[in-house]
Amino acid sequence: MKPSLLTDHPFGADYAKRLGVPAWNGALPGPKVEEWRFTPLRALTKVSFTPATGVGFDTLPRNIPMIAGAARLVLVNGAYRKTLSTVDLGKGVEVTHGKVAAKEGSSLIALNAAYAPESLVIHVTAKVKKLIHIISIGASGAEPAALHPRITVTAESGAEITLVESHVGLPGQTYFSNPVTSITVGAGATVRRYVSVDEDSAAFHLATSLVKVAGGGTFEAFHLGLGGALVRQEIRVALTGENANVRLNGAYALDGTSHHDFTTLMDHAFPNCTSSQVFKGVVDGESHGVYQGRIHVARDAQKTDARQVHKALFLARGPAIDCKPELEIYADDVQCAHGAATGEIDENQLFYLRSRGIDDATARGLLIEGFLADAMAEIHHEGMRELFTADVTRWLKARRT
Amino acid sequence: MSLLEIKNLHASVAGKEILKGVNLTLEPGEVHAIMGPNGTGKSTLSNVIAGREGYEVTKGGVLLDGKDILAMEPDERARAGIFLAFQYPVEIPGVTTSAFLKTALNAKRRAEGKSEIDAMEFMKLVKKKTEALGMPYDMIKRALNVGFSGGEKKRAEVLQMTMLEPRVAILDETDSGLDIDALRVVSEGVNSLRAPDRAFLVITHYQRLLDYIVPDHVHVLANGRIAASGGKELALELEAEGYAKYLNAAA
Repeated sequence: MKPSLLTDHPFGADYAKRLGVPAWNGALPGPKVEEWRFTPLRALTKVSFTPATGVGFDTLPRNIPMIAGAARLVLVNGAYRKTLSTVDLGKGVEVTHGKVAAKEGSSLIALNAAYAPESLVIHVTAKVKKLIHIISIGASGAEPAALHPRITVTAESGAEITLVESHVGLPGQTYFSNPVTSITVGAGATVRRYVSVDEDSAAFHLATSLVKVAGGGTFEAFHLGLGGALVRQEIRVALTGENANVRLNGAYALDGTSHHDFTTLMDHAFPNCTSSQVFKGVVDGESHGVYQGRIHVARDAQKTDARQVHKALFLARGPAIDCKPELEIYADDVQCAHGAATGEIDENQLFYLRSRGIDDATARGLLIEGFLADAMAEIHHEGMRELFTADVTRWLKARRT
Repeated sequence: MSLLEIKNLHASVAGKEILKGVNLTLEPGEVHAIMGPNGTGKSTLSNVIAGREGYEVTKGGVLLDGKDILAMEPDERARAGIFLAFQYPVEIPGVTTSAFLKTALNAKRRAEGKSEIDAMEFMKLVKKKTEALGMPYDMIKRALNVGFSGGEKKRAEVLQMTMLEPRVAILDETDSGLDIDALRVVSEGVNSLRAPDRAFLVITHYQRLLDYIVPDHVHVLANGRIAASGGKELALELEAEGYAKYLNAAA
């Protein structure tokens, strides 16, 4: 289906001309585009954004999450800020930054290519012990800002790296972050990627991840969704060689009118590959959670083992969940499964905990953490599992006060 | 003052009256057994005392240390000293037994104005209690009751009881689903808690449990009322003769 034009959106040619940036003649996907049916962009098109300029701060603002012992790479409004970053990353990894070529694929990618100042390029040639923590900060000036972070990661064969991405913003600002991350996992290489989207409550965040995993490669990712007005994490993974192994998982905890969309495409083109997805979320207030998971198994991709599951827990009557699993299987000797479930807190479990003296709010908190626990258990990096679990616990505490 | 007083208690479930005037007084240090056929209100009685939703008290009261607890939330009742050992302990996926025990213990300590237990002290305490119940210590790392066998679940109930040290412990058909070895271990756990300032209400269908937990008083609950009361010999009589005469008399 052809994307419909949202004609009055602020990113068209006129807008580009006015701002003196390269023209982008695409359009944001409208509500009739099937893949965007559950995530309408009307609210986004009502805000007039200016391209983000470098907002000057020489030290990191206090609300920015830090990871002890990790090497830090900081992007402010999409631009790499060397002075805020760790320059020496040790052996096996090299970080550069430079202009990227425009790339087709979607209007968001084209938009990113048109406006991205440059890409952060991470080249991995060996086993890297240190965590690499990429922090993308949205910081508007007087006007709402649009930022287009671009990250390119290449892990050569046999290399190994753990990346953490924190997407945050300065409090109380409206901005639109449109990050595009390309990851190439070489033969036998391992990339672990832990993404946390905790944008400010007025922020828009539409992220696209393009991942290629070569034969024998392993890609493990976890996507945490906490804050932001309108958030989409679209992750497209192509398994491009035999015996590739992908584990793509996520969790979200939403309140207010927050909208988070997780859209995944798992493209199995070669035999003997495995992929698994576990996404779990809790929704409160009048929030909206979306999970769309497509698994495509090509005719030649025999002995594929592909699984996905999405479960959501309602904490109130106000929220909504849309879940759309899609399995397209053209090979005949495969194992594929998908599951989906939504529910509320179980009254029997709640009474059991309360009958032991645990107050209602604490008991609900335990049950919510318990619900998310098997998704969090998919984070194989222990330190990151603890950090993300702590983020969820903090969300629960904030919800109670 | 009596420890627990149940006074002319009437309770309904979904508009149907199940308890029709139960009177029962537990003095400190006593063990009372409630026996009776299925469907006479044994579980209703324990659920009403513990404060489960869906049970409507239409008349009467339940007093702990002379204070009516029926207006209290279930967690308040528990912190005041009521403990219900469930007939069917509930599985809580994703919550470790250890995290749960610590949360429950600290809730009680806070209510008593004490500080939270430190990690080492907690570990030591759990180690001691699990050993006494013949439970492997590693069990507390597992999700609460998830995948536990019937015997393990009941042991876990008694473990919770020994850690929370309630004033009044209600055992709702704790013997159901237990083999003789598990029954002995669970009973020993309960007996070790018998104390001059604590009372037990043991609800059971069979006399067997009362060979191990010897009661001071035995009551027959039939048609929503206490139909007869006696000493421990009443349990033997019920085992031999059944409940027919109480059901007929009450009908």
